Amino acid sequence: MSYTLRGRFDSRLAALLPLLLVACALTGALHRWWPVELCALMAAVGLALDAQVWHRLLPYQPAWAIVPLGLVELGALMAIVYGFRLHAPLWPALGLFAGGWLLSVLLGQAGYPLFRLGYAEEGGELGRVGAAAAAAVMLALAGSAATVVVRQPPVVHLAAGVHHGPLVISRREVLVGDPGAVVRGGIVVRHDDVAIRDVTVRGGENGIDVEGVSGTVLDGVRVSGARLDGIHVRFADVTIRDCSVDMLGNRWGQGIDVSYSMGYGMVMIDGCHVTGGMEGITTHSAMADISHNTVSRTTARAISMTEMSMGAVDGNQVSNALGIGLYCNDHSMCDVRRNVVVGTRPDRSTSDTTRVGVGLVVSYRSEAQVRDNELGANPVQTRSFDLSQIKKS
Amino acid sequence: MPAVAVVGSGLAGFTAYQTLRRGGLEPGQITVFGPDLDPVAAWRVRAAAIRQREMRSESDGHCLPTSFPGLAFRSVRRRRSPLPLLRSVVDRYHPSVDEFLEHVEELRARSRWDESVVRRRVERVRAVAGGFELDGERFAHVLLAPGHPGLNVPEELRGDRRVVHAYEQHEYARTVTVVGAGLAAATEWLNALEAGAEVVSVRRREPVRRPLNVPRPYFSRRGLGAFHRLAPRERVERLRSLLVPSYPPGRRFDAPLLRAQAEGRFRVAAAVNGSEQVICATGFLHGFRHDPLLARLVDEHGLETADDWLVLDADSAVPGLGDGTRTLAVAGAPAQWAFPAADTLAGARYAAHRFLARIGSCRTR
Repeated sequence: MSYTLRGRFDSRLAALLPLLLVACALTGALHRWWPVELCALMAAVGLALDAQVWHRLLPYQPAWAIVPLGLVELGALMAIVYGFRLHAPLWPALGLFAGGWLLSVLLGQAGYPLFRLGYAEEGGELGRVGAAAAAAVMLALAGSAATVVVRQPPVVHLAAGVHHGPLVISRREVLVGDPGAVVRGGIVVRHDDVAIRDVTVRGGENGIDVEGVSGTVLDGVRVSGARLDGIHVRFADVTIRDCSVDMLGNRWGQGIDVSYSMGYGMVMIDGCHVTGGMEGITTHSAMADISHNTVSRTTARAISMTEMSMGAVDGNQVSNALGIGLYCNDHSMCDVRRNVVVGTRPDRSTSDTTRVGVGLVVSYRSEAQVRDNELGANPVQTRSFDLSQIKKS
Repeated sequence: MPAVAVVGSGLAGFTAYQTLRRGGLEPGQITVFGPDLDPVAAWRVRAAAIRQREMRSESDGHCLPTSFPGLAFRSVRRRRSPLPLLRSVVDRYHPSVDEFLEHVEELRARSRWDESVVRRRVERVRAVAGGFELDGERFAHVLLAPGHPGLNVPEELRGDRRVVHAYEQHEYARTVTVVGAGLAAATEWLNALEAGAEVVSVRRREPVRRPLNVPRPYFSRRGLGAFHRLAPRERVERLRSLLVPSYPPGRRFDAPLLRAQAEGRFRVAAAVNGSEQVICATGFLHGFRHDPLLARLVDEHGLETADDWLVLDADSAVPGLGDGTRTLAVAGAPAQWAFPAADTLAGARYAAHRFLARIGSCRTR
């Protein structure tokens, strides 16, 4: 068909309308904005490509072209989703896109031509229906955007200087630390959808304590001097990015400890620097993605996934750990790839044969898929115990 | 008084009738004037004459009011095979002539076309207050679909006893000259070669190779928008360039022609030579002057024309003769001023849709 530019817009937006309704319903059901965000992006990418590329490039668009055009649009969409770190889960997002694409194909090839006389000869234009559909889509997206803005949690700026804690956060809010802002005595998160950015925490029982809540984001926090754990997460899903945790001198605490979060969603720990502590980063019964962290000078294990945890340990740098570098234990399933573990020291205080300076230990009915790790600079590279498996892929 | 009259019972009139029925008009509200009850009577003879087996049009080359479901979809249901639809997706589906004729026959029965046809040629259309008089009968809304005014034989070949028009029943002599360069000519080259003849192609210009009669954007508002904005002189030039003879690209034509050329059985010449038979694949007489009904309409109402074309509004209506109470529009070949491919099924549908839109917005309905 030879579309006019308006015909492309009309046809696209009218097909997007039912999808947007589905996305709104999903957003309501999941309490997540990604379906509506994805729809808005699909509209934006599609309209931009229509105006700038397809209309100029294709004076006539054969029916088969919907396949390559759809793939290009999908590529552009996913590039934006990943480029801007929009948190849309891959398969549901692909499903939503595929549903929208299929609907637009069915409507474009059969639905519109069947119900609108002259659809083809009018270049895909839908007249008043098209204008109404465009208005409805814009209204729905604008309404969603307005809702997002209205529902944005308040931003609280923590001024430079020392604030005495523990600071208990019991409402949705974004806590942003100005340069030089320090909380002494720890932070306790007790509400969903709290974000803490660029805050320095010193001391406290746990540096930051997140328990029984969802949607917590810790971004650029710096923790030191905690008596127990640096960041302590229980029964919660959390995203921890670009943090720094100093546990030097603390013999029994963990740098980051995420436990019993299975069923609360994926936990992300990305780009953190952890020094000292018994374990640098540890998960118990959690689904976690532990990526691009630097962990050193731990006294038991640098990075540990245990008690039926599942997830990836990817691209981390571990050095100078005592006993064990990476640990996959107790019915856990670990995807261990692209990690560098160096200088793991034998623990001579014990006769435990797992602690002889091993780069990766897999034990007690656990399974580790390993790929592209550098474990050579350790007394022992890998070891598995108690019906566990190390699978190289 | 029946609301609407269609002058012409050929394919353009038939397509308009289907659209009017879809628009809610009953057979009793539509009068179709024409010489034949069978809407494909004239077309069938021409297709048979050139031994046409396949339509040039694609899946949407049908008489239904909407482009979907097309003939490919119909074929899928009948053959229980997805192949026609897959071929349609890549623009490679062309319905067979038999499929097309069956489709028309079905539609004719389903739409109760025969109830509306009055077997009479209309000689005169005259604008009167609140409508139009067709040989004395009054209608508020009239669509003129008179078809092609006759077969075109070049002046210099008239009276030559060897000459037959491609659209007339004929067999093939041992040596055949085919005059013309469009689809009918290309089909006749192959027919004559298949019959064992030596073929000479006489053409004034090299044929354009394209899938449809005009470039595809001219079938939609994308190409038509700019076309409608052209000044009359430019539009005449554009029409002349768009309507040059053409036939589809592809091996279906090229392979047998190349083979025959290599065997010395096919060549191109500048003028008609001493062949035993001369086939004029030169289409139809062109221009409103060749149609007595249109010529009289123009003369009596002082309608605007440009060269051979009757000047029409973008929606195929005759300018100056329509208002809030009445409509006069044109479909088929004489409507090229509004739609360059007016003599195709898509063109007939275009005029029909707009005619329906006009009468739908009229106070008299």
